[in-house]
Amino acid sequence: MRKLLTDLRDIFIKQWLMVAILLSSPSAMAELNVVATTTSMGMLASEVGGDHVTVKTLVAPDRDTHYLQAKPSMIIALRKADLVVSVGASLEIGWLPAAINSSANPNILDGKPGHFESATFLELIDKGVADRSQGDVHPEGNPHFNLDPIRMAEVAKALGERLASLDKDNAGQYRKKAEQLASRLSNLNQELVKKAVGAKSPLMMHKDANYLWLRLNVPILGYIEPLPGIPPTASHIKKLADTLAGKEGIIFHAPFHSASGPKRLAETLGWERVVIPIEPKKNAKFEDYEALLTRWVAAATK
Amino acid sequence: MRYPIALLAAGALLTPMAQAAGNEFNPQISLIFDGVFYQDNVDGEGVESLLEVPGINGHGHEEEEGEEDHDHGHSHGLEEGFNLREQELTLSASVDNYFDGFVVIAVSEEEVEVEEAYFVTRSLPNGFTVKGGKFFSGIGYHNSKHVHSWDFVDQNLAYGALLGDHGLVDKGLQLTWLPSTSTYALFGVEWLQGSEQERFGTVMEEPEEDLGLDEEETGPKIVTAFVKVSPDLGDDHALQVGAWYAQAKQDQQELHHEHDGDEEELGLEGDASMWGLELVYKLDSTEAYGAGDLTVQAEYLMQNKDWEIMNGDEAGEDVSGEQDGFYLQTVYGIAPRWKAGLRYDVTGLTNDLELPEETESFDESDRISAAVTFYPTEFSFIRLQYATADIAESDENIDQVFLQFNYSLGAHGAHKF
Repeated sequence: MRKLLTDLRDIFIKQWLMVAILLSSPSAMAELNVVATTTSMGMLASEVGGDHVTVKTLVAPDRDTHYLQAKPSMIIALRKADLVVSVGASLEIGWLPAAINSSANPNILDGKPGHFESATFLELIDKGVADRSQGDVHPEGNPHFNLDPIRMAEVAKALGERLASLDKDNAGQYRKKAEQLASRLSNLNQELVKKAVGAKSPLMMHKDANYLWLRLNVPILGYIEPLPGIPPTASHIKKLADTLAGKEGIIFHAPFHSASGPKRLAETLGWERVVIPIEPKKNAKFEDYEALLTRWVAAATK
Repeated sequence: MRYPIALLAAGALLTPMAQAAGNEFNPQISLIFDGVFYQDNVDGEGVESLLEVPGINGHGHEEEEGEEDHDHGHSHGLEEGFNLREQELTLSASVDNYFDGFVVIAVSEEEVEVEEAYFVTRSLPNGFTVKGGKFFSGIGYHNSKHVHSWDFVDQNLAYGALLGDHGLVDKGLQLTWLPSTSTYALFGVEWLQGSEQERFGTVMEEPEEDLGLDEEETGPKIVTAFVKVSPDLGDDHALQVGAWYAQAKQDQQELHHEHDGDEEELGLEGDASMWGLELVYKLDSTEAYGAGDLTVQAEYLMQNKDWEIMNGDEAGEDVSGEQDGFYLQTVYGIAPRWKAGLRYDVTGLTNDLELPEETESFDESDRISAAVTFYPTEFSFIRLQYATADIAESDENIDQVFLQFNYSLGAHGAHKF
């Protein structure tokens, strides 16, 4: 009996020593809580942050990032965040500011080091004025740069700097990982440009892959939406079919878009219709992002 | 076709080149337009009648000719035909690094009213936030929703009968705490002035005759406490449950009463308390423009009043009142950009006034509403709503038809849960 008690005491002491060591070791203390909005942003954070960060994403890859609500589960995730990584350019404007304001976390407010808005580090296309008669356009420019490996590389580098400033002990590692990711993204881009030679011209539902096609030198035929964020009418579909009749092309849309318009066009024109995500899978790594882009290019060059 | 090189070159920027999106306008300004075409089968009296359903707050008795209207402020009364309801002008910005400021001004054809005006702290530690000014109380789920974000044109009967058409909105201070736990749990307490409440913590302004009522007490007169809990159910589902309690230290009532064959006006003075439970479930589908999305929400509210008679033969005797309210509503995305809603709301399942020698019980008043809403974009909607109400102590059902048009200009509205 006494033996058992001493054993238990020893185990107890050992356990506590372990906990104490873990708590006092700098590597365990340095872990940063990163909340990313989309899975693309999550990929950047987990590749650049490596073992020093835990990453939670707020938007499932099968949802339209424009139209989410500031859910309590997002708010509590943001409450504990050291850094929030968003796309920006008003893509998350409907819900992210509301969720951040409700999270009672001063570290991630706009303007604080814990607030990282990727679009602010980039030159965006389609900048315009805020005129809602032209659809849901964002004056800051088109926010769907996530399928552009080169812009993603720029964001990776900026994110590396940000992580380095938040966690100075591991600054060197963040910068190194950011450089590594940037060069992998750049290599990926070179490969894709080569593969995309002879790609069919895409007819897009939404302006969500413009950066990719621009990067790959593939001209876009048009958009199924008459205006950004506005679903097509039957007459708009007919007009598109008339204009595009006899041409070669391929139709792309995301799984969360209504399929009826694209389907009708595909049938009328005799084109292939590709339903393809614009975000990599959950908990994505670089390889998942690479796989997604490869899939896009493969679909257009088949 | 080749694109110009300039378009392909993304600048290598390690410092932000543009303002973050949240700061584009300072302050952010938005204006919300709300217009309603209205018809009912009771010569346009429907909306007012539904705000005055029989209950413990003095609406259960035959209204005397010229009886004083207890309602303060403006009403949401609609007349048959075209109505312009409140236009909401919202301004918000960071005041400085310590506070955010919000002002919501409701403009109707008759008046301009400060609907909300408050500050919120930005940088308190440990999950604490303080809000101060005039604001919608954090009690319940529906209470803090602005009219334009309601799923139906009008207020539900539970809130309308027990708190008034606007719910509980008052001047005061709110403290909330969001602890850093794995599950979302928000705790809040509020101190509210309570000087302009219609139904809860009412103070009679200049009654016609001397009812022996006390002077108005000094504020703050209403204290509330609330908790909301939401487990993380993944990307598709969201659930929030909540409970709240509120106490008003002064509540006055004029009661028209028959005693020993004589009609008399009794002055009642005392206090009031309320509690409520709420449940909200949302399903977020993967379909386009809200198709397949589902919201189910339900709330139960209970109000208790403890008065003493202040005048007449029965002065010093106790009178107590108890009235509850409930609603259940569901909204479903029937197609991209289209939503259909169904609501059942009721007040007075418990509806008793205990007088010294008798208990006066009122029946419940309930209603069923159906609404179809079309959202051309997220900046506008058109809603058609039909409702049929069975009001206690009334033979005739009230049938109502509403056609609402709503749009917003300016800053992008928040998609709140």
